[in-house]
Amino acid sequence: MNCGHIELKVCMLTWEFPPRIVGGIARHCYGLTKALVKLGHEVHVVTLEFPGAPEFEDVEGVKVHRVKIELGHPNFLTWTFIFNHFMEKMVAALSHQVEFDVIHIHDWLTTHSGIAAKNFLNKPMVCTVHSTEIGRVQQLRSPDSYMIDGLEWWMMYEAKSVIMCSNFMTKEVIDHFHLPSEKVSVIPNAIDTFEYNKNVNKEAVRRRYNIEPNEKLVIFIGRLVPQKGVEYLIRAIPLIVRNHRGTKFLIAGDGWSRSHLESMAAATGYGNKIRFLGFITDSERVELLMSADALVIPSIYEPFGIVALEGMAAGVPIVASNVGGLSEIVEHDRTGMLAYSENPESIAWCVNKALSDHGYSNWLIENAKKKVNDVYSWESVAKKVTKVYEKACER
Amino acid sequence: MPDEIYFLCLLHNIGATSSDKSLSLDEITQWTVMEPQRVRENLEKLINTEYIQKTFKEGSEKYHVTVNGIRKVLSMYS
Repeated sequence: MNCGHIELKVCMLTWEFPPRIVGGIARHCYGLTKALVKLGHEVHVVTLEFPGAPEFEDVEGVKVHRVKIELGHPNFLTWTFIFNHFMEKMVAALSHQVEFDVIHIHDWLTTHSGIAAKNFLNKPMVCTVHSTEIGRVQQLRSPDSYMIDGLEWWMMYEAKSVIMCSNFMTKEVIDHFHLPSEKVSVIPNAIDTFEYNKNVNKEAVRRRYNIEPNEKLVIFIGRLVPQKGVEYLIRAIPLIVRNHRGTKFLIAGDGWSRSHLESMAAATGYGNKIRFLGFITDSERVELLMSADALVIPSIYEPFGIVALEGMAAGVPIVASNVGGLSEIVEHDRTGMLAYSENPESIAWCVNKALSDHGYSNWLIENAKKKVNDVYSWESVAKKVTKVYEKACER
Repeated sequence: MPDEIYFLCLLHNIGATSSDKSLSLDEITQWTVMEPQRVRENLEKLINTEYIQKTFKEGSEKYHVTVNGIRKVLSMYS
């Protein structure tokens, strides 16, 4: 069907789609594509292979095509160029069966295949920017970083419309890439709130992680990289334990800072209260969020912060840094608490308040649940994305 | 990044991500341009952490990145 009609044929390119989960992009694409299908669009996802996942599957109406990467190279950037070639081939093959209306890509990793598809299909390309290289590394130093930064610019230059997940990201991108603001739409991330409506045996979950009934549980969920600021949570732990001796801390996720953070945790003298869980499954993630007494998001850079939405839906009091998208999602003293960035004392103060004042915590939880249901649903996001598609398709 | 994780990333990017794409010690040494001893040490560490699986194919030992290993690599890149 042609653009201008409500139902569109969408070709979405992403290097991660469940069960291949790297960061937030996989979950974003999963939620968005299912919601787009519910609105009547035909959505094809072209993504990368993953052991055990079929080459093609229909996920609640979303047609998922997993590309085999037939060649490899030790260098990461070279490897991305290779897999983009195979994605391009897949889009070309699909285009013989489906007349796509729009191509939608996510971050720089699928820039090459997206731009190639845009040109050989002569259809508009929309891109969603989840984060930027300059934001991730703070300062461009290596040739690879400069290259990725250049690819990000090229992707946004070629795109008809650019979707940002927060006002913070929009400002960052417009300032850094000199992007015309008319090309930009701010559409937040969303989550499937129904996942958090199930009954969870909190005691059993806590027992699984050796949390005694009289102990408090504080959690972090995310990648273990400097931008997530886990070191500030670790430095806050002695200040929390001083007030709440029976508190344990679970740090879920993996990343290249893990060994450094484990050493740091041991050096606090409270290593027996801190446990690193590594990668956890989605169901463990939900159960943990629903069983914790506080969720800490101590990021120093956060374009959006989807884990804050998950915490809000799960009914756990949130303590987040007052940075980036987090400061747009969490309303201080209403849906959570915002701590000063890179400030262990501030994090500890907020966590101590959440653990001490149950009435206040419950009030935050109720407000947060209402906000997440009202504002951050996939249906609402998919409707906004549809408007972007329709505008991009206008000649 | 620890040396064995860097090595794991190389194996992932080369494409040794399933048993049918597993590689021998010689092949890994050639691809990574690392000394055989360093390759052996890294493989041993990664097998212990279950990021690499060793199999026997056509009379020789072959190695590939496990699903947990792929997840570990992806967490490095995101």
